Amino acid sequence: WLLNPLPMAVSSRGNAEALVALLVLATLYWVEAGGVGKAAVCYGLAVHMKIYPLTYALPIALHLRSGDGAVGAGGDGKARPKFVVHIWRLFVKTLNWDVLLFGTVAGSVLAALTFAFYHLYGWEFLEHAYLYHVTRRDIRHNFSPYFYMLYLTAESKWSFALGLAAFLPQLLLLLVVSIAFYRDLAFCCFLHTAIFVSFNKVCTSQYFVWYLCLLPLVMPSIKMSWRRGALLLLLWFVGQGLWLAPAYFLEFKGYNTFLFIWLAGLLFLFINSLIIVQIISHYQKEAQVTKKLKQR
Amino acid sequence: CVTSDVQAACRDTTVTQELLKEGFHRDLQVKVELGEDAGGCAVAARIHLPPGIYVDPYELATLQQQNLTKALLIPDVTDVEAPEYLATALVLVLFLEADPRCSRCFRAAVPVHARYHRPAEGSQHALVALESPQVLLCCCHSHLAAECWEPAEVGAPCSAENVGPCQWHSTTHRAAREELMLEVPVGLREHSSLVCALTLLTTLLCASLILAATCRHGHFS
Repeated sequence: WLLNPLPMAVSSRGNAEALVALLVLATLYWVEAGGVGKAAVCYGLAVHMKIYPLTYALPIALHLRSGDGAVGAGGDGKARPKFVVHIWRLFVKTLNWDVLLFGTVAGSVLAALTFAFYHLYGWEFLEHAYLYHVTRRDIRHNFSPYFYMLYLTAESKWSFALGLAAFLPQLLLLLVVSIAFYRDLAFCCFLHTAIFVSFNKVCTSQYFVWYLCLLPLVMPSIKMSWRRGALLLLLWFVGQGLWLAPAYFLEFKGYNTFLFIWLAGLLFLFINSLIIVQIISHYQKEAQVTKKLKQR
Repeated sequence: CVTSDVQAACRDTTVTQELLKEGFHRDLQVKVELGEDAGGCAVAARIHLPPGIYVDPYELATLQQQNLTKALLIPDVTDVEAPEYLATALVLVLFLEADPRCSRCFRAAVPVHARYHRPAEGSQHALVALESPQVLLCCCHSHLAAECWEPAEVGAPCSAENVGPCQWHSTTHRAAREELMLEVPVGLREHSSLVCALTLLTTLLCASLILAATCRHGHFS
């Protein structure tokens, strides 16, 4: 990972992405290995460094609640309980000893780090680390499909409503994916971050590193032909290339290519969604788990 | 008449500014030809940057460390992400180097960046007007002709060497100023409805695709 040119190029812009990736991977490792306390420490540190791992809280909690990919509360032979009842049971039964330990340790680590840095740097630290994300108004061009819409409506009365409308698909997808795939934590976190980044209001190349670091963990479970995988990868790069071309002409040549950038952003979202759908469709971890259960 | 004699005695200082490169990231080049000899004073140009344009303080600090540019930004912090309508104007005091082409010529360049402007109706570009810079001299030991140069108040210290009293001076006779125009591409308001509708539709479509795949292949037991 340290010699991979993509994180190398991204890190040279001033973000130690390799460190955050390490902490996230350490968290996932310790959760799988049963060291809940150590996982919580790594998690607290990861969230302190970058806020995005906060979304992993739900899959980790669901995973710890159920143990190692064990069968859920409802029996297999009986009729499937109503979806709403099932969701209710899932969340009510979420609080068990492991989850409480994880939450407490991670929360304490995060609070201790926040307090320590506040003591060192004062209000400036809180502003730059956390509050900045709440009040930030960056409407410059980026990969996000929402960029042009937010730029044009920045001063209109619809600005807040549109911002909220942009947030809802992201939130809904993250919830559903957590419930569907929490048994395989690495896969769930990969999907989480891929969806979070693709549907976010701001999206830059730096964010891709956040889910690419989980791809090696996930690849063995995805049964896809090399040709299909290569085609999807090519499509991903083509999507970026189609955005980068008009963006270059806008920023460095001064042409008005806003419409092209916007359309390329929509296309890139579609390509990312297609890739995520293909990955979900070809995911076959379940076959390995049932095989192991039968062998016991 | 005394006045005309005085003005005739001071030769005009000419100052030109030019924006090199294209797009949002430009180089502002300032060239000054003094009417009188500088007499060992440091030559600088005071540039008023409107809200539509800014100098990145971190970039400036790096350039100063490498001894490529010497300048002072007032105020020295600015929100580099803010759009033009939320930003404040800046003042840049740029120290000029001797230009080898002529004896009383000085020049320097500084990288500048354009901000995003409000979306416009019917026009693809917004215009940023850059006023002509004001020539300043920072003198520590020299004597300048009092008719040509008057003391000026600049909210920044003079050159590095603090030997004796150093004082800023500006020209008494101001030549006609020329404005430099910078074109910045802007979004078009006419696109608003189409953009909002199509964006939300596409995101809903893509979200539905992923939702459908998750419901089909996910484990909800």
